[in-house]
Amino acid sequence: MKTNQKKAWLFLAPTIILSAVFSIWPIFRALTMSFQGGPLINLTFNGISNYQYIFSDPEFWTAMKNTIIYSIFAVPVALMISVMLSWFMYSKLKNSSFFETTFFMPYVTSTVAIGIVFRYIFNGDYGMLNFILRFLHLPAPSWIDDPSMSLITLIIFGVWTSLAFDIVILMGALRNIDPSFYEIADMYGATSREQFWRITIPQLVPTLAFLLTMNIIGAFKIYTQVYALFNGQAGVGNSASTAVFYIYNKFQIAGTPGVAMAATVVLFLVIMFTTFLQRKLMKKVGDY
Amino acid sequence: MKLGKKLLLAAVAGATMLTTAACGNKSSNSSDSKIPTKISKKTTIVFWHGMTGVQQTTLQKLTKEFEKKNPNITVKLQNQGAYNDLQAKINSTLQSPNNLPTITQAYPGWLWNAAKNKMLTDMTPYINNKSIGWGSAAASDIKTELLDGAKINDTQYGIPFSKSIETLTYNKDLLDKYGVKVPTTMDELKTASETIYKKSKGKVVGAGFDSLANYYVLGMKNAGVDFTDKIDFAGSTSKSVLNYYADGMKKGYFRIAGSDHYLSGPFANEKVAMYIGTSAGEGFVKMGVGKKFTYGVAPRPGKYNMSQGTDIYMFNKSTAMQKAAAFLYIKFLTSKASQLTWANSTGYVPVVKSAMTDASYTKSDLKTPAIVNEAMKYTYSVPVTKNSNAAYGNLNAILQNVFTAAQKGQNVDAQIKAGKAKFDAAWKQ
Repeated sequence: MKTNQKKAWLFLAPTIILSAVFSIWPIFRALTMSFQGGPLINLTFNGISNYQYIFSDPEFWTAMKNTIIYSIFAVPVALMISVMLSWFMYSKLKNSSFFETTFFMPYVTSTVAIGIVFRYIFNGDYGMLNFILRFLHLPAPSWIDDPSMSLITLIIFGVWTSLAFDIVILMGALRNIDPSFYEIADMYGATSREQFWRITIPQLVPTLAFLLTMNIIGAFKIYTQVYALFNGQAGVGNSASTAVFYIYNKFQIAGTPGVAMAATVVLFLVIMFTTFLQRKLMKKVGDY
Repeated sequence: MKLGKKLLLAAVAGATMLTTAACGNKSSNSSDSKIPTKISKKTTIVFWHGMTGVQQTTLQKLTKEFEKKNPNITVKLQNQGAYNDLQAKINSTLQSPNNLPTITQAYPGWLWNAAKNKMLTDMTPYINNKSIGWGSAAASDIKTELLDGAKINDTQYGIPFSKSIETLTYNKDLLDKYGVKVPTTMDELKTASETIYKKSKGKVVGAGFDSLANYYVLGMKNAGVDFTDKIDFAGSTSKSVLNYYADGMKKGYFRIAGSDHYLSGPFANEKVAMYIGTSAGEGFVKMGVGKKFTYGVAPRPGKYNMSQGTDIYMFNKSTAMQKAAAFLYIKFLTSKASQLTWANSTGYVPVVKSAMTDASYTKSDLKTPAIVNEAMKYTYSVPVTKNSNAAYGNLNAILQNVFTAAQKGQNVDAQIKAGKAKFDAAWKQ
């Protein structure tokens, strides 16, 4: 039987210590805190009452529902658009690096700054979007101030913000596809549509799986986008409240860290379960 | 990816070590109960606040003035964002007391736990100190009810500073144009708003309330119901308070601030003719309106008015010298002269009695001072009890849901029922 070299521990020590302190310990700390009540500076054990509280709190269910709806819609839509755009840039455009830079720009811009701009674009009274919609004689909803529109607005915003990262990763993956595949396909007279579905997409599966996992996890943790888009609150009437927003509010504003940590643990389990399902699914789909 | 993660970890670790090192600078013993009579060496104090715009510039101006008079003291003003952010910052910093500021702006409700854990400084010895304080509370000239409002569990932890009430701000030109008198009761407010909305053919909304939570709390108080956990949100009194606003939303003559947070923006753009909001917003209104039209300020319709705003609290962790310096600063901020400067440029109501009758206040450029006495005949504030702060905080979102449902012609009762569940949950956490 092979044993690990003792030296390896030495070299791994910094990483092990740091990830134990900053990634693993917080998880256990959250778990213990979820069974405690009272303020942060004076926590006392109070059993499962935090869990009882969140499961009977309508705000928690709204937040979880919104988070799940957001993940289900925003992530696949963003991924589809990204695949389309990057394929288009890769195969049809000459100066693709210029467009690539342009598309990557939002990723290096602060979400809060983008949120402020979008708040103006989406404004019901004087926003650019509604100006265009009215010009085209289309209905112009109140994107930001109507509770029933909040989530849709958030999804649009979320899709837009995640395009940048997705496109850059996909462009890299597209470049890595062996060009001889296409040459051979051309020789045998495959149409570009066939090439796309039979060569490009299968070759992209590992990258897509990676992006899907990362984006779903990211989507479950959405907070900044909500904060920026709705000016510091979770939409009118908390209509766009998300799980992390709920956690933040319970922790920082309501001053009930135990409740916040109970919600954190639930969210952690949901994300873990989803990721687990995804990996199973991806293993089935292909050579991931 | 792996490398990125490691780099991130390294960065986090570095930052943490720096903070820990900073924490390591041991502050001197807080049990040092002797109050220095004079600031004999260079002392720096940190003041966390949530002031923006003209409020912040006035605070900076006053602070400079103070530093000039007290060359040994440096005051570091640190803006922590909006009140929500300030509250969150205090809450999360309470667990590492050495990172707390010397003093902070706060509502007493935020510091309930800090007081319970003896992290705040009792101001009484400072108030009674002859060289640093005033000698006695009476000598401070600060209104007694405000001092009482800055007590937590009967201990004077806070000194009132930025206090405001709610006022009705109106666009005089628009009111004249549509032949509407400034409303003095809620019924008049309704008719006036309806008239404006109809006569402007829906272009101008009659009125709105900045703080829906205040609207509800005062609406209930005016109907004889105090803000406690006994309130039946779906009861008949509550429903009539809610329906008054909901009807207006349905017909279009009322609106809410929504994601704008404050109606001063739409007001300055002549989208709404009147609004009820904090008097501390007048500085912003004045700037926003400019020369576009004449605005006026009137007492809030209805009997009761909200007495709101923050006090200044001091944390125990500071050195005796810092505490004394901070108290001198507080004393300076609440002096008659400072309060006059403060009130005349922001719309906050002076906390000292003598400033209220001072000519420079009653004849100031702002319009709040002229009506302040009348507006403050009956005041009410949110009681500092368990979870009252949380329930009050939830009201805004609950009412937003009820009113936007009304606006869209949806079932208001269903929203009230849903709101009741959330309201009750907030009282029970």
